Amino acid sequence: MLTLEHFLTVGVLLFCLGLVIALSKRNAIGVLMGIELMLNSVNLTLIAFSRFSTGPAEIAGHAFVAFVITVAAAEAAVALALAVAVYRSRQTVEVDQLDLLRS
Amino acid sequence: MTELFAAASGEVPGISEAVLWAIIVAPLAAFTAITLYLRKLPKVAGYLSIAAIAGSFVLSLITLVDVLGANGGIAIHTHEWFQAGPLEVALGVRIDGLTAVMLVVVSSVSLLVQVYSQGYMEGDPGYGRYYAYMSLFITAMLGLVLADNLFMLFIFWELVGLSSYLLIGFWFHKPSAAAAAKKAFIVTRIGDLGLLAAILLIWTRGGTFAIDQIHDLALAGTLGGTTITLFGLGLFAGAVGKSAQFPLHVWLPDAMEGPTPVSALIHAATMVAAGVYLMARFFPVLEAAPDAREVVGWIGAATVVVGASLALVQTDLKRVLAYSTISQLGYMMLALGVFGYAVAIFHLFTHAFFKALLFLGSGSVNHATNTFDMRRMGGLRTLMPITFWTFLIGTLSLAGVFPLAGFWSKDEILLEAWVNNKGLYTVAAIASFVTALYMFRAIFMTFFGEYKGGEAVDHEDEDSHFHGDPAHPHESSWVMTVPLLILTAGAIAAGWWAWGKEFHHFVEAAVPAEALHKAPDFSYWIAITSSLIAVAGIGTAWAIYHRGLVSSTEIRRIAFPLAALLERKFFLDDLYERAFAVQAFQRGWNRLVEQFDTFAVDGTVNGVGWVGQQSSRVLRHAQTGQVQLYGAGIAAGVFIVAIIVFIANPL
Repeated sequence: MLTLEHFLTVGVLLFCLGLVIALSKRNAIGVLMGIELMLNSVNLTLIAFSRFSTGPAEIAGHAFVAFVITVAAAEAAVALALAVAVYRSRQTVEVDQLDLLRS
Repeated sequence: MTELFAAASGEVPGISEAVLWAIIVAPLAAFTAITLYLRKLPKVAGYLSIAAIAGSFVLSLITLVDVLGANGGIAIHTHEWFQAGPLEVALGVRIDGLTAVMLVVVSSVSLLVQVYSQGYMEGDPGYGRYYAYMSLFITAMLGLVLADNLFMLFIFWELVGLSSYLLIGFWFHKPSAAAAAKKAFIVTRIGDLGLLAAILLIWTRGGTFAIDQIHDLALAGTLGGTTITLFGLGLFAGAVGKSAQFPLHVWLPDAMEGPTPVSALIHAATMVAAGVYLMARFFPVLEAAPDAREVVGWIGAATVVVGASLALVQTDLKRVLAYSTISQLGYMMLALGVFGYAVAIFHLFTHAFFKALLFLGSGSVNHATNTFDMRRMGGLRTLMPITFWTFLIGTLSLAGVFPLAGFWSKDEILLEAWVNNKGLYTVAAIASFVTALYMFRAIFMTFFGEYKGGEAVDHEDEDSHFHGDPAHPHESSWVMTVPLLILTAGAIAAGWWAWGKEFHHFVEAAVPAEALHKAPDFSYWIAITSSLIAVAGIGTAWAIYHRGLVSSTEIRRIAFPLAALLERKFFLDDLYERAFAVQAFQRGWNRLVEQFDTFAVDGTVNGVGWVGQQSSRVLRHAQTGQVQLYGAGIAAGVFIVAIIVFIANPL
C-alpha cells in the first residue's frame, strides 16, 4: 500500500538531487536541468497532498501543478534563450566563468 | 464665549467684540500690506500706517468712553483656539479699565510718533521698512494689553521684543546699532525665561491661562504660598527684562542707537512699560505673595537709584533720557511694591506723555544740530523756541513740579511709600532730587549758554541723510512740532484725571476688590516736601551748570571714586561682558560644548563609519560573484531555518 510518506520521500530525494545538480553543475544547461528536477519534485509533492487530502478543495493541488508546469515551460524557454544569448556574447556557458557581479 | 463682570455700579461695557479685534487688526493689516506690496512706495506706506493707527486710536477712544460709561466693568470675549490633550489654549480679548487706559496710551503716543516720523525719517532709504516695523510693534503692543490669557499675552510679549530688536537695529549697517539690537534681545530673553517658567508653573499647578481665573486662584489661596511666590517672581523676571529693571537694565541705554521716534515710542512710553503692565495685570498675585511684592519694591528702588545716578554723568542727551526712563520705571515697580496698583498705572500713564515728549524733543534738537552730544549744543533756547518750551514743560513734569502731570503721579507714589514702607520712601525721595538735578543739567547744557556748533555734516558718509546746516540750527517743521505741542498738553493735563481719585477707581475695577488696599488720602505734607525736593534739585542744577557757582570738574575731582564708578556704569557692563560673556560662556560653556561635539557627537558618527568599514573588509570575501555559491547559501539558510522551526515545534 502506497502511503503519503512514500510520495513525500521520493519528492524530498528528487528535490535534493535537483538542488545538488543546480549548485554543482558548471554548465548552465545542467543547472537548468537541476532546477527542472526541483520543480517537478514540488509538483509531485503537491499532487500527493492533493490525492491524500480529504478537504473540500482537493482539486487545488492539481490546479497548482497545472500552473507550475506551464510556468516551468515558459521559464525553460526564457532560460535557454538566455543561455544562447550569453554564449553568443561570452563564448561560454560555464557558470563559474560568469562572475560579473563581483565588482 | 463672552463673560461680563459688572462694576460696582452694575454696568458692563457694551462695546462689540469686533471693535476690539479691529484695534489689533488695523495696524497688522498695514504691516502686511507694506511688507508685501508697498516696499517700493514708501510714501504710501507711511500714510497707510498712519491711517491704520489713527483708526486704532479712534476705536480705542470709543472703547475707553464705553468702559468709562460702565464705570470700569469688565468684558471678556474668549474663543477656543486649540486643544492638545489636557492643554486648552484660548484666543480672546479682555476689556476693563486697565486695558482701556493702556489702549489709549499706546495708540495715542503711537499716532503722534508716527506723524512725527514723517519729518524725522524723511529721506531715509529704509522709510517704508520703518513704517512696517512700527506697525508690527503697534499690533503687538495692542495685542499685549488686550489679551485675556497669559499664553496669548506671552506671544504678543515676544512679538513686541522682536519688533524692538528690529527697530533698534534699524540702521543695521552701523555696527553699534547691530550690537545694541543683539544686546537688547539677549538681555530681555534672560527675563523672558522667568516669564516662561511662570507660565508653565501656573499651567501645571493651576491648570489655566485665563487672567481672571489666575486672579481667583491667587486670592483663594489654594495654590500654596511657595507656588504663588515663585509664580510672582517668574512674572517679575519677565518684567525686569522688558522694563529694564536693575540688574537687566543695561540694554535700554544702548537701545538708543535706534531712530529717536522709536526710542520715544518703544523705549520710553509703551514697550518698556509692558513689564509694569504685566505686574499690574497680575496684581492679586503680588497681594497673595508678600515676599514677591517685597522683591518687586526693592528691585524697583534699586532701579530708581541706578537710573537716576547714571543719568547724572551722561553727555549724550538721549542717554540721559534713557537712564531717566529706567529710573521712572523703577518708580512704577516701587509703587507696585507698596500696594500702589492704581498709582503705578497712573505714573505709567503720565510718564508716557512727558517722556515721549522729551524724546521727540531730543530728536528735534538732533535734527537741527546733527548730534546728541550735549557738550556741542547750548543756546538753542532762542533758536528753537517751540522745542525749548515743550522740552522744558516735559522736564518740569518729570521733575514733579505742581501742577503738571508728573507731580500728581510721583507725589502719590511717595505717599504710598510713606504709608507702607518708610525705607522705600527715603530712597524714592532722594532719587527725586537727583531726577530734577539731571534733567535740568540737560536743559542748561542744551538750551542755555553759547551754541557750540553741533556736529559737522560728513558729506562723504553715504548713510547720512542730514539736510540742515548744523552751524545754523533752526526750528523743525510742523510735522515734528505739532506732535510735540499735543504731547505737551498731555504732559500738563494728564495728571488731572486723578482728581477725586477718578482714575484710581476706574483702573481698580479691573482687579478683584479683595486684592486692593485703600489708597491713602492726599497729604499736603508729602506734596510740599516732594515739591521742595524738586525745586532744590532744579536750584542745584542752576547753580552748577548755569551760573557755575560750583565747578562740576571740581565736584568730579573731590568725588573721584564715585564719579569713576558712575562713568563705568557701576561696572555692570564689564561684569556681564567679561565675567559672563567671555569667561563663563566663551571660555567655559563653549569649550565644554566644543569638547562634547568633538568627542561625543563626532565620535559617534565616525565610530559608526569605522564599524561599517571594518566589518565590510571581512564580509567582502563572501561576495565572490559565483551564483551557485549564493544559491548554496540560500539553501543552507533554508535548511537552518527549517531545523530551528523543527526544534521549536516538535511534531
